[in-house]
Amino acid sequence: MKFEVASVDSLIIYFGDSIGEEVASRVRGAFFALKGSNEFIELIPSYTSLLVKYDFMKYSFEEMVELIKGRIDSSSGAEVESRSITLPVYYGLEVGLDLEDMAKSKDLSIKEIIKIHTQKEYFVYAIGFAPGFPYMGEVDRLIATPRLANPRAKVPKGSVGIADTQTAIYPRLSPGGWNIIGRTPVEMFDKSYEGFSYFRVGDRVRFESISKDEFIKLGGEL
Amino acid sequence: MSGFEVLNGGIQASIQDLGRVGLASIGVSEAGVLDEYSYNLLNQILKNPYGTNALEILFGGVKLKAKGEGVFAFSGAIADITLNNKKIEMYKTYQIKDGDVLNIGFALSGARIYLGVKGGFEVKEEFKSSSVSIKEGIGGRVIKPKDFLSFATCKQNYNVVLKESHRPKFENTITLRMVKAYQWDMFEEDEREKFFSSTYEVTSQADRMGYRLSGEKIASTCKGIISEGIAYGAVQIPAHGEPIVLLKERQTIGGYPKIGSVIRVDCFKLAQAKQGNKIKFELVSLEEARKSSKKFNNFFSEIVL
Repeated sequence: MKFEVASVDSLIIYFGDSIGEEVASRVRGAFFALKGSNEFIELIPSYTSLLVKYDFMKYSFEEMVELIKGRIDSSSGAEVESRSITLPVYYGLEVGLDLEDMAKSKDLSIKEIIKIHTQKEYFVYAIGFAPGFPYMGEVDRLIATPRLANPRAKVPKGSVGIADTQTAIYPRLSPGGWNIIGRTPVEMFDKSYEGFSYFRVGDRVRFESISKDEFIKLGGEL
Repeated sequence: MSGFEVLNGGIQASIQDLGRVGLASIGVSEAGVLDEYSYNLLNQILKNPYGTNALEILFGGVKLKAKGEGVFAFSGAIADITLNNKKIEMYKTYQIKDGDVLNIGFALSGARIYLGVKGGFEVKEEFKSSSVSIKEGIGGRVIKPKDFLSFATCKQNYNVVLKESHRPKFENTITLRMVKAYQWDMFEEDEREKFFSSTYEVTSQADRMGYRLSGEKIASTCKGIISEGIAYGAVQIPAHGEPIVLLKERQTIGGYPKIGSVIRVDCFKLAQAKQGNKIKFELVSLEEARKSSKKFNNFFSEIVL
C-alpha cells in the first residue's frame, strides 16, 4: 500500500501498479472496509487504487493514513460478496455500430466476434466516467481494439463497447470513443436499484447474445 | 406559491447547492456551485441556512418575470441588472412583486452570477441535492423559457447590504495555489519549473467540468496511467502537455497524469475566470492550504451584516 496526496482534502492509496484480479480484490477489500464510516466522505475505487476524501480540518494527511491503515488491518479476511451476473446483449448490425469495421480489421467474422465476447467472464474493476458506467476486463486479445480515432458525439444508451482490453456499457446517450458492438436493454443506472448502479465493483459478468425480438421484449430501444 | 417565470434562460443557468456526496464510487459527479465564495455570501445576506440553493448563471443574459412576492439578491460576477428597467445593486436584498421583471445583463467582470431567494428555490432534490449535473442529467437541467422557478412567498424585505470590502473582486490574472499530488514525481525538475514560471491562458474550453488552459507545454515521464479517482482541483497534464484544472462536474475516474491539485478556495476563483484571463500556479504545503481554508471558513462566521 502506497499513500499519496491527491488534493488538500483527499488521498489516494495505490495497491499495485498493474491491472489484475489480485490487486483489484485488495482495492475492493479496502473499499468495503472503509465504506459506511463518516470519516471518509467519498471513496472512489478503481483498477489499482482507492481515492479517499476526508475532512481536512479534522485530520491531517498523516493522521488519515494511520486511521485508514488501522481500519484495513482490522477488517482483513472479511469476504465481500461477489455476484455473478449475466447481461443480455443484442449484437445486431444496426446497434453494433463498429462490428463491421472490427471484423474487417481483425479478419474475423461478426459471429466470431460475438462468440469471443460472450465466452469470457469479466470482472468489474471500477464504476466511473458516467453514473453506472462499468469498467470491465479483460477482453480477449483477438477482439481488443483501440478507441476510435474520432470519438462519436452521440453513443446510444445501452451501447456495449470495447476499448483495448476493456469492455463497458454506456448508461445513457453520451459522447464516447469506444468501439460499439451491441446494445443491452438493461438500465445501468436507476434510482430503484439498491445502490443505484446495476453493477458493483467486484461483480463477475457474462454477456449473453439475444435476438432482436428478445431485446425489444426486454424493453430495448433501437 | 411565488416564483419566477423564465422569459430568457441565457447561456447556461442552473440551480445549484453544495452538490452530492457519497456517490462518486458509482460514477456520479459531485456537481454544485462552482464559486462557493460568492454563493456563501449570497446566503449570508439573504439570511438563508448554509447550503441553500441558488441559480448559477453563466455570463448572464437571463430574464425573469415574478409571480407572487419574494426577497432576492445577487452575488458573483459583476453585471448590469435591472428590476423593471431600473438598475439595482448586487449584494443587496430586494423585494419582488407580482409582474416585476428582472433583467440580468452580461457579466462585465467574472463569469458566474448567483441569484438567490429567501428560503431557496423549491425544486425536487435528486440524491439529496438540488444541484443540476448538466452532462449527467441528474437533478434536472438548465433553465429554459417558460420554466417556473418557485419559491416560498416572502413579504418582508430585510434591506441587507454587504460591505464593499467583503465583495469579491475578479482580476484578469489569477494565481492558483496548489499542493503536490498524484504523479508529481513523474514530472522532472525543469518541467515543474516551466510549469510554475509560466503564465497560462483560459481557453474557450472552460466549463463546470474543468478549465483547459493554453501555454507552455509540460512533459511527464509517463504518457498514460491506469485510470484512477480524480480529486477536485486536480491539474491534469494530457499528452498535448497543456494543463486542465478539474472542477465540480469532473469525471470521477480518469487516466491522465496529474502534477498536483489546486486548493479548494482557489478553485472558486478559477470558476470566475473567463477566456483570455491569465493563470499562474504557486506551490504551497498542505499546512498552508489548510490555513487558507480555515481563513475562508472563519471569514463567513465573522461577517457582521
